[in-house]
Formats: sequence, structure tokens, C-alpha cells
Amino acid sequence: MNWPGFSALSSAWLFLLLLPLLLFYFLKLRRPRLEIPSLALWRQVINDNRVNSPFQKFKRNLLLLLQLLLLCLLILAAMQPFIHSGPERAEYLPVLIDCSASMAALDKPEGESRLAVAKQNVRELIENLLPDQRMSLIAFHSTVKLLTDFTNNRRVLLDALDKLEVVEVGSRLEDAMRLTQALSRTVPIESVLIFTDGNVPQQVDFELPFPLNYQKIDPAGANIGITALNARRAGADGWDVFVRVESAVSGQSAGTIELLQDGNSIGSQKVVLDQGESERLVFTVETQAASDLEVRLTPSDPDSLASDNIAYLSLPQGRPLRVYADPELASFRHALGAIKGIEMNAEDQESAGDAVYDLMISDQPEDVAREASVSLFVGFVPDDLKSLVSIESGTATVVDWERSSSLLQHVQMADVQSFDEPHKNENVTDGDIEQFGYEVLAFGRTGPLILKRRLGARLSYHLLFHTDRSTLPYRIGFPIVVANLVQIAMQHASLSEVRGVPTGVLPARFLEANQQYSVRGPAGFELDVKSGDDALVAGIAAEKAGIYEIQGGSDSNHKIGAALFDAGETSLQTSDELEFREEISVSATDSPIANDKPLWPIFAVLGFGTLLVEWWFFQRRPGGYIRP
Amino acid sequence: MNENTSTQQVTPLFGNDVLGRVERLRLNPTRRLTNRSQGEHLSGKGGTSTEFSDYRDYVAGDDIRNVDWNIFARLHRPFVKQYQYEEEMHVAVLIDASSSMVFEKKFERAKQLAAAFGLMGLLNLERVSVYSCNHVGTRPVFLPPCSGRTSMNRLFRFIESLEGGGDFPIDEAVDAVLGRHSGRGVAIVLSDFLTFGDVTRPLNQLFAAGLETFAVQILSPIELEPELTGDLRFVDSETSHTLDISSAGDLLGIYHEHRLSLEEELRKQCRRRSGRFLSINSEDPLDWVLFDLLRRQGWVR
Repeated sequence: MNWPGFSALSSAWLFLLLLPLLLFYFLKLRRPRLEIPSLALWRQVINDNRVNSPFQKFKRNLLLLLQLLLLCLLILAAMQPFIHSGPERAEYLPVLIDCSASMAALDKPEGESRLAVAKQNVRELIENLLPDQRMSLIAFHSTVKLLTDFTNNRRVLLDALDKLEVVEVGSRLEDAMRLTQALSRTVPIESVLIFTDGNVPQQVDFELPFPLNYQKIDPAGANIGITALNARRAGADGWDVFVRVESAVSGQSAGTIELLQDGNSIGSQKVVLDQGESERLVFTVETQAASDLEVRLTPSDPDSLASDNIAYLSLPQGRPLRVYADPELASFRHALGAIKGIEMNAEDQESAGDAVYDLMISDQPEDVAREASVSLFVGFVPDDLKSLVSIESGTATVVDWERSSSLLQHVQMADVQSFDEPHKNENVTDGDIEQFGYEVLAFGRTGPLILKRRLGARLSYHLLFHTDRSTLPYRIGFPIVVANLVQIAMQHASLSEVRGVPTGVLPARFLEANQQYSVRGPAGFELDVKSGDDALVAGIAAEKAGIYEIQGGSDSNHKIGAALFDAGETSLQTSDELEFREEISVSATDSPIANDKPLWPIFAVLGFGTLLVEWWFFQRRPGGYIRP
Repeated sequence: MNENTSTQQVTPLFGNDVLGRVERLRLNPTRRLTNRSQGEHLSGKGGTSTEFSDYRDYVAGDDIRNVDWNIFARLHRPFVKQYQYEEEMHVAVLIDASSSMVFEKKFERAKQLAAAFGLMGLLNLERVSVYSCNHVGTRPVFLPPCSGRTSMNRLFRFIESLEGGGDFPIDEAVDAVLGRHSGRGVAIVLSDFLTFGDVTRPLNQLFAAGLETFAVQILSPIELEPELTGDLRFVDSETSHTLDISSAGDLLGIYHEHRLSLEEELRKQCRRRSGRFLSINSEDPLDWVLFDLLRRQGWVR
């Protein structure tokens, strides 16, 4: 048995008030005198055994006893007693609340969402918070947000909890764990509570430094949703649109997929899926111009999650890929000439000029500053790496390369030799190079040979040897490298394939430089952003699925449709156990949290009840006697 | 009490209408406790009234005038005719005039009843005497035995002049009254019977004195239906003794039990001695008490 503790033990001195109460009671006990004909009967009454029974004696001093009881109850309430939840009692309690898309799932039609259940549980925790306890609310989905610092202010906590909404993105635990770990460096954290439906990756890449109480919310019902939407160009005037529909693991689902082009329905298909199954549907869209596609899923059965029933895709206008290849790089121009669907600069155009290209291939260092979505620079070291790498004369061979990279896939680099030999300067490691944002795709004996760098929306590749002084153009892999490069550029320009935009963060857009834009989205989303010198508008959070309109500038409105596109969230699959690094696993528990239970409201109510009893007892009409 | 004191009223104790109706009432004792002196009550023994009772053989010394000569002529044996006695009954009215009777018209009601019972006795040619007890150690104020309509005004004036107040308990008052009283008959005791002493003893004394007890307990509303609550200090009106009561409202049930128990005990003790007992409220209408309650109870006819 846990004896109750007291949060405000110092209030016990109020018990001294009992002394004046007793004193005043006896001093004030002046009975009103009442002359009656005879005491004979009343003396018999007083001598009656029933009057002298202990209960009657108790009743005679009931007023005093009730007042003592009332005072004791009020003092006990002021001492703020509580019942210990266990031997350990968390003074600082971080509470992690999953608010990813799956937390919007309903347990039944017109039921309550998982997040509502979690909020109710957390609300009980907050309401039972003791004065010396501090709680911090942390919401996590694909990233993490600290809702409140450690506080015992119930209003602050409840306000933050009430404002918490589902963010229609996937869920990851790592960021939340890292934030909690950071908090644990400022205050002693004995335990961490996590409320989730279990729809989180089972493997968590984190070394758990604190005990984790994994409170799993009951799973939701059946669900069907769209998990992928993309389109691939099919000929000059058409697109193949692929829609992937998946069912939750909890039951069979069915529905109708309808495809709308610019608001007009152009096709629909019915789909029936067993639990955990997925199906890919193909639609053909005949269009050369840019158009907006919308895919709607109408479930036939009760559907737990509504946010994955709609998806958007913007098809760009068809055009050839604009390529600039330095006239000096004949090998590249030759290889590019064999690829259809590109528009290459003329051989006599020695400079890229101010034109915007989708792909630029150059051996001129000054072209690094030019604007192109994808660039390949040959034969020189980028300025920011010159302190780390230098090119010397010698024979360089490829020791290893990233075979899975988009540029080098299906390319055999083992027998490529170069007579420019990049050297890492003394004490320079690959990590130093990566700190500048470069990724090494091919390693030479003395230094990196091929680098990749993504800067904002731009992608650049750097061959630190000149192809004219290497055997690469003579290898069979060279046209494959060029074809891969073109494919990468076409993907960047959305000319060959477009994918639906997932929620989270909207893709960056090149609009007008230094221009104010207003972004409006679903559920009243509004945001003002300003483009920089590079005309890039980026970092717009898209927490809800729907259409986001970017208004401003001289151009017309830009629309970006974002959808959930998360198979994990749609499947509503839950994990009963989270596995952390060092083979630490945490099992889910359905048992309620044994938090410290404050008792002062009980004492306060009892005190009020005692007051009412006292009032009633001494104000009621005397027990009358009806004469027969 | 009728407050009309106009000259046409015979007594301020009650109106003439009540007086007229009372005059037609007679006491109805259970036992025939009479005196040797001639009166209106037929004795169980032989007497000189005109009511024939029995025959008996003539013995020497009998008054020859009582011999039934018709019987002698037929049977040639002398028989003496016997007649019933008509003896006098004594009506003693005892009024408890202690301080406890002064509350809420209890004493007024006692005086009214005493006047009514006395009038009934006077008009039935009984010997009526009235005793009033106030203070312990003093002699009771009393009206000597009187009889007949001529004593009516004397009776009324005596009763009207009685004052309440004192500490004479009823048990001792009976003792004091019997010290002066003589004669058998009816003793009408008008009291609240709220005494610390034993009520059995005075009833025994009355019975032993040849008096049939007509006990009337007069209680006031504050005694019958007290509305009390909280902590109180009761003060006895006679002795000025005090008694502290807590939560008086809770004790009312027990109080009523004791009051009814006293009432039942008095009724039982009176019945054992061939007497009668009646408890009334001082606020009950006098007409109802005299002409309804007493008649239904068989006290008067």
C-alpha cells in the first residue's frame, strides 16, 4: 500500500487552528434559557439510556465534531495530498504525442480519431499533475515540434494540447528521441511517455538513454488509400499515369478510383483489395499541354483515413530537353547527338550566354555560375575544393565507384584511365570534402575522381579529370553515362516522368527574384514567403493534403497539389515493439499510466459536503410530534 | 375563559349558556361511596327512602311501623319492609395551583373545570368542597363543604379568587388535602401531574379515604407539542432548577415517549383503584371537554 504524500506539507501548521476553534466553541456555548412548567419529563428524558448512548453523546456535540471535521478536511486539502504511483515519481515528464497522418484514423464510422484518444489520455495526465511535477509536450510526425517547455501550468499544457492537430505526413521517431535526449541534458528525466497508434517504423536508429513508456492507442479500422501517383511520358502527345492503391492490414477494402483532368473525369476503375494488398492502376492521358490531374478514391466500405483518398499530379507541357554542350567537348556532343528529344546548342555557340538550359556540360570554370538544372563540369576542381584537392599529372585509375548512383548505373569504370590525377592535399579526408556538400561517386588512388553536389534545386556533377585526357570516351560506358545524364536532366525538368508531391515540404520553385508571395492551402493555411536572389521559393510546409496556391509576382498563380503518398500510414500497420540500437527494445503497453493521484479535490468536496450537512442538520425543522 | 364580565354573567369562568348546560349534568361515579348522612344517592344498605328494597323477619326491637301488615294478615307472621338508603356523596375538588399550572391557561382551564364539577355536585345536593394548593408548607386554600344551589355563588366566588403560583407538588398536595378532608365520595384532581415524586402514593391515599379518583391531567401545547431545537437551558418554573439540553430537537421523540408513558401510568393506577383518568389540552374548547369528551368518557350523565 502506498501511503499518501503531501505536496504542501508546510500547510500542516494550519492544524493549530483547531485550538482556537475548540476555545471559541466552549466560550461561545451559552445556551438560551427557556422556562418550562416542569423539568420532570425532561429529566426522565436525559436519564434515558438511549440519550446517554455513545451515539447520542456524539450527537450532542455534533456541531463541534462537524466543525472539527470540516476544518481538518480543508487543511488536508490545503496540504495537497496525493497517492504515489510507484516507488519512483517523475518530476520531469516529457510526453511524446504522435500526430502523423495515421493518428487521424477512426476506430469506427463517426468514431473518434487516434489523436483524440491520445489527447484524452494526456489530458488526464495533465489534470492529475502535481504542483511539483513538470511536463513537456512534444509532438512528432516526420519531424518533431516542442509544444511546451517543462511546466506545471495546466492551462499552458491544455492549450497546447488542444491546438495539436494531425499532420498528414509519415512518422519518424528519431528526431523526437533526439529532442528528448537534448532535454534530458537540462533536467533529470527518469521516464519518457510516448503516445502513438504504433504506426511508426519498428527500427529506430537511436541509442535509447532513458526508459521509454510506450503507450499504444487501440488500432483503427479498415482503410484503403492512394500511396503513389506518377506519370511517364508515352510518346510525344501522351502520358501513362500510374496510381498505386493499398489496403490496410486490418481488413478487406474496396473502392473506386476516378481520374480527373483539369476537373473533368476521364476514367475510373473499381478496385477490391484483400488486407495488406496493393494494386497499381494505369490510365492513359492524351495531352501535349500542361494539365492538372486529380485522383479521387471513393471507398465502398467504411474508411478509417480520409487524407489518403485524394492525390494530385501536374503534367508539364511537352518540349525537348535544352542542352548546352561546350563545342570543345566533341565526345559529349557526339554522344548527345544520338539521343532523341533534346535540343542542343549549335557547334559555333562557344558560350552558354544568358539562356536557361536543362543540362549544361562544360569544361570552363566560369560556367559554374550559369543557370542550369543539371550540370556536368569536366577537367577542373571547383573553387571551394581547391584547398583540398589539386589535379596533377599522372595516371589515375578508378579504384571504386557508386554503382547505384543515377549517373554511373550500368557503367563499368574499372578500366578507365586518366592522365589527370586528382590528389587530396595532406591530411584531407573524404569527410572534409563531404562537409562542402559534395558526394564522392568515384574514388581514385590518390583522390576523388567524380563528385556530385546538390545545391538547392540544382544538381551538378564534377569530373576531376578531363575526358579528352582519359580513356572514358573510348569505353562502352561513356554513352551510357551521357544517357544517364540526359535522363537525370529530363527528370529534373519533369519532361519524362513526374511524381506526385507528398505532403511535408513543397518542392522548391523558381519564380521571380526578390518577390513577395502569398501561399494559400487547405484548412485555411496561409503563408507569406519571399524569394531570394536566386528566385527560389522553397521550404513551404505542407501539413495537409490538398492544393497549395502560390500567388504574387507578375506571373499567374502556381498550384501544387500535395497528397499523403505514404504506404506505411495508409496500411495502418502497428508495431508492438520498438527496436532501438544496441538491441534495446521497448514493448507497447495498454495498461493505463499510474500517475500520482492528487487527493485535494476529494478532500475539498468532502469538506463542502460536511458544510452542507452541518447547515442542514442545524437549520432543519425540529422533529415534530403529531398528537393522536 | 370567557372574558365577558357583564353583570348578567353569573361567573366570568364561563358563560351563562355553558352554565345552563352544566346545571343539567350530573356526576356519574362508578362506585357508590356515600356518607351516612341522608342524601340523593341510593345506598346499597337498607334505609328510609321511599324506594322498596326487601323483606326480612321481624325481630324484637324493630320499629313496629315497618311491619307489612298485609303480609302478616296472609301469613300470620310479621315481616319487616326494608327501604333503600339515600345517602350523601362528598365531592372534593383539588386544584393544583403550583407554578407549572400557570403556563398557557392551564390554571384557567383547571378553575373552569373545578367550577363545572362543583356546580354539578351542588345541584345534585352533594357536599362539595374545593381545595387549592400553592406553596409547600402552607395549608391548602379550601372551600368548606357546601351543598345546594344556594352555595353556587359562594363556590364561584371562591374559585374565581384562586391565584396560581407556588411549588406544591401534587403528591404532597393530596397528602395535605386529606389532612383536612373527611367524607367519602369523589375526589376530582385537576393537575398536570408533572411531579418528581411518586403518583401512586396520593392515589392510594385517596382510595383509602373512600374517594373515587377522577384525575384530569391538563397539559399545555408547549408540553404536548414542543418545538425546540439546538442547545437549551431549561428552567423549572416551580423550583428554578436548570437542565442543559443539547440537540433538543433530537430528544423530542424520547420526550413524547415519556409523556405518553406517564399518561398511561396514571390511567393504569387510577383504573386499578376504580378511578378514572383523562388528559386534555388546555387549548381544547371548554364546550367540547364538558359536553362531549366527559360524556363520552362516562364521567357525567
